[in-house]
Amino acid sequence: MEFSVLLVEDDEHIRQALGLALDDEGFAVHDAVSGEEALALLGTATFDVVLLDLMLPGVDGLEVCRLLRARGDLPIIIVTARADAADVIAGLEAGADDYVTKPLVASVLAARIRALLRRRGGGRQDEVIRIGQLEIRPDVGTVHRSGSEVHVTRTEFRLLVELASAGGRIVTREQLLQRVWGYDYFGDTRLLDVHIRRLRRKVEENPDEPTLVVTVRGAGYRMDV
Amino acid sequence: MGRFSLRWRVALALGLGSVLLTSAVAVAIWNLTSGYMLRQREQSAVRQAEVNVRLVAEALRNDSDGLNELLTGLTTGPDSTVLLFQGGQVLTSGRQVDAQVLPRRLVDLGRAGTPASQRLVVDGIPVLAVTLPIESTDGAYVELAPLVQLDRTFRFLSGLLVAVTVISGLLGVVLGSWASRRALRPLTELTKAASRIAGGDLRARLPAQTDPDLTPLAATFNSTADALEQRVRRDARFAGDVSHELRSPLTTMVNAAEVLRRRRVEVPGTAGRALDLLTSEVDRFARMVVDLLEISRADQQAEDPTLETIDLGSLVRNVVAARPGEQAPVHAQDPSPQVLGDRRRLDRAVSNLLDNAERHAGGVLRVTVFSCEGQARIEVDDAGPGVPPELRDRIFDRFDRGARAGSRGADTGSGLGLALVAQHVQRHGGTVRVEDRPGGGARFVVEIPEADG
Repeated sequence: MEFSVLLVEDDEHIRQALGLALDDEGFAVHDAVSGEEALALLGTATFDVVLLDLMLPGVDGLEVCRLLRARGDLPIIIVTARADAADVIAGLEAGADDYVTKPLVASVLAARIRALLRRRGGGRQDEVIRIGQLEIRPDVGTVHRSGSEVHVTRTEFRLLVELASAGGRIVTREQLLQRVWGYDYFGDTRLLDVHIRRLRRKVEENPDEPTLVVTVRGAGYRMDV
Repeated sequence: MGRFSLRWRVALALGLGSVLLTSAVAVAIWNLTSGYMLRQREQSAVRQAEVNVRLVAEALRNDSDGLNELLTGLTTGPDSTVLLFQGGQVLTSGRQVDAQVLPRRLVDLGRAGTPASQRLVVDGIPVLAVTLPIESTDGAYVELAPLVQLDRTFRFLSGLLVAVTVISGLLGVVLGSWASRRALRPLTELTKAASRIAGGDLRARLPAQTDPDLTPLAATFNSTADALEQRVRRDARFAGDVSHELRSPLTTMVNAAEVLRRRRVEVPGTAGRALDLLTSEVDRFARMVVDLLEISRADQQAEDPTLETIDLGSLVRNVVAARPGEQAPVHAQDPSPQVLGDRRRLDRAVSNLLDNAERHAGGVLRVTVFSCEGQARIEVDDAGPGVPPELRDRIFDRFDRGARAGSRGADTGSGLGLALVAQHVQRHGGTVRVEDRPGGGARFVVEIPEADG
């Protein structure tokens, strides 16, 4: 199955080269040169994933990211030239699922896109997981808290299921990064930290004092059953 | 004078000055006091003797029988002695003293009619001998007045003066030492700040000085440090900016290269070989820029916001497990050491060490993680020829190709890998060095202080 990718990038050469290379990797690539064009395109067509440059003329990448996230849980990968912590965190906080820094190679990017779009395999797909007031249904991909549905992105949902299905055991950062992002890019704590923060904001009573998704210092995270 | 520090020289000079001054004063006090007291005692002894001699002369004139009794009565205490020289006879009363011990001249003066006095030590007792002529006869009257009391007073006084001199000398040394330390304190601060800057902390400054003598020194030092910091930051920013500007064209290049590589078979012959060269160099170029960016970013960022407790054993295992190809054996102590650090940086450091071993030294033999005297230690052993001692520091410099010089193969690194290791490890307060592995080859040793608790 061919995934369709929307590449939002203002640099003509990058857009062309990355378009060609991603096409070689088996993606159907469409491109947009600005945030406005991207938003207009997304209004008329559907894509599997958006590759979003953060530095765009006009409506900037962060704003596009926020607007897209407000519309739904379309996977977004940020493509940034700035690898400063603050920049990456801002992008992830705006709702991006993953990020890559330039110079990026199409093959690496392709691996990440596939990981992001892949359906979660393994058993227990049809079981309903109940933790506290949370009700997680892996088969339909919904989360309910005290009976009302909580909107989570696909990545947040996978993260939640990984933690919940561990049955109270500690899940290490490396395991989470590998299982959720399908990528052996151990070490980048920012990606995981921001996603845990986003998840807590949605499922915890008080995100500042989490009781469901608990940090285990120096080890990882745990979800008490 | 080079043997003593400035502080000691000031202290000793002050001590010496103080001793000289006090001893001069002490000598003056001694002379005045002892002279005065001795004169007083002499006068009273002479006056007493004059009265006594009149009585004795009276008694002699009357040829009284009571001369002996009179003489006995004239002695004032157990230590005083009265001697009467008359003709060839000597009459002694009071403490018995052999007349021979008295200087002849003294007695002769008395006989000759001249009153005299002299200080003597008779049988271990200091005395004042007063000689007076006896009127009407050619005899001499000698009275020995004890000076024990006075002597004791003198001894006490001299002891006191010596003690005061010594104490004032010591006080001088202490005061000098204290004062010079106080005066040199800004110099100590200057040394500290300068060594912090030398150690890489460009933000070290001297505190503002209130003393007008020190203000220029602090101001000059601080402005020099400001200039240095700005210069270093500007250089680092420039490297960062350059690498940053290279990112966009590089993205185009690496992706175009990937497209070309995929179609390698369509380009035969010379053009194909050129294409190989081009694509592999583009990759190397990209790696170099990425490393350069990382190194300049680390230069610029002073604070590290993402410190966490990290289990070094599992970190190393994860890094090794994430690498393609055959996995090197990891030996981690149990429990493995914990450090406070930035996971991404430590991952990178370990990963670069493994890269280095694989690229230049025939692969990794084993990786060991253990704790040693409060330091968490990672050892990476390789199968290469080892690193000659003269290159051991240099290989951690940027773009130093050290042992690899002249042997640039197809897959050389960016030239920044080990420099990045050194930088990341230093950021954790640790050190990295290379030694000989027992049995040949090199051993890279990283030491990072263990986290408390």
